[in-house]
Amino acid sequence: MFRVCNVSDIKENSLNKFTIEKKDILVGNRDGKLFACDNSCPHRGASLHKGIYKGNNVVCYMHGYEFDVLTGKLTNMKSWKKSDTWIEQNPAWRESGNLIMYEIEIKQNEVYVKIPPNQ
Amino acid sequence: MTTDYKEKIGELVGIEVIVKNGIDVEKLRKLLLAGVGAEFFTYYYYTILRMHCTGRDGEGIKEIVEDARIEDRNHFEAMVPRLYEIGGALPRDVRQFADLAGCPDAFLPNDWENVEEILKVLLEAERCAIRSWGEVCDYTATKDHRTYGIAQAIMQEEIEHEAWFVELLSKRPSGHFRRSYVGQSPHTKGHGGLQHLS
Repeated sequence: MFRVCNVSDIKENSLNKFTIEKKDILVGNRDGKLFACDNSCPHRGASLHKGIYKGNNVVCYMHGYEFDVLTGKLTNMKSWKKSDTWIEQNPAWRESGNLIMYEIEIKQNEVYVKIPPNQ
Repeated sequence: MTTDYKEKIGELVGIEVIVKNGIDVEKLRKLLLAGVGAEFFTYYYYTILRMHCTGRDGEGIKEIVEDARIEDRNHFEAMVPRLYEIGGALPRDVRQFADLAGCPDAFLPNDWENVEEILKVLLEAERCAIRSWGEVCDYTATKDHRTYGIAQAIMQEEIEHEAWFVELLSKRPSGHFRRSYVGQSPHTKGHGGLQHLS
């Protein structure tokens, strides 16, 4: 487990980037629930801490894909279409995995994250 | 043979220094591949979009689309050598390259006779490119000076392109005048394979 910060550093409904062992991780607090995941969007690698919340989802600022921050699941693949006359993207381009979630633990008001060695 | 050579000269110091600065080289390769893919396919799709800038309205924007088209191709040329320097490569199959591109394909809309719809597609493409190179700049700033230098030069031109298309759609002044020649790339021209523009 790696120590990340103090619990008080993670404000409610915030998205925070930390670098642990050269890896950028996202630690957030959604309505009082802490979570941690890889900061790279599984679609094209954009930094998720630049996104916004929508319900329990983080919305990636790059292409608008949404991921549930508590489960890591991809919940919405936003279409690029601005009008009905636009042609949708190729399914292979749109494809995305889920978030890479990390185990998080609070010990004595400090946040710890477990990052598997091969990630 | 290759192994012997590697044993004699060791790893590239050009990579070693960025790793020591905290760069995950594999992550950087992916970001650059997505970025150059977006530029390559934007160049392709802008060709189609420019061809459809027709009629009196289309004639007015054709040259601006051409400037952006050639400069986006220049961005591909400028960054691809860096991708190879850090041990990356372009996919051998262009179809795979398309699927890895960092931005959506800028498809010609069905109502292309309305030039405004073409401008909206162009604007979306430029906005995605700004975000994409912004990621590279943010990731490499103070850690990988060489990649940062190229990416920030590209980003400057992408920001100008966005402003051109915003001006055409909204009349908000872009603050820019015309390029001296098509594909001038005033910020990127000294990089990568663009020495012919210097």
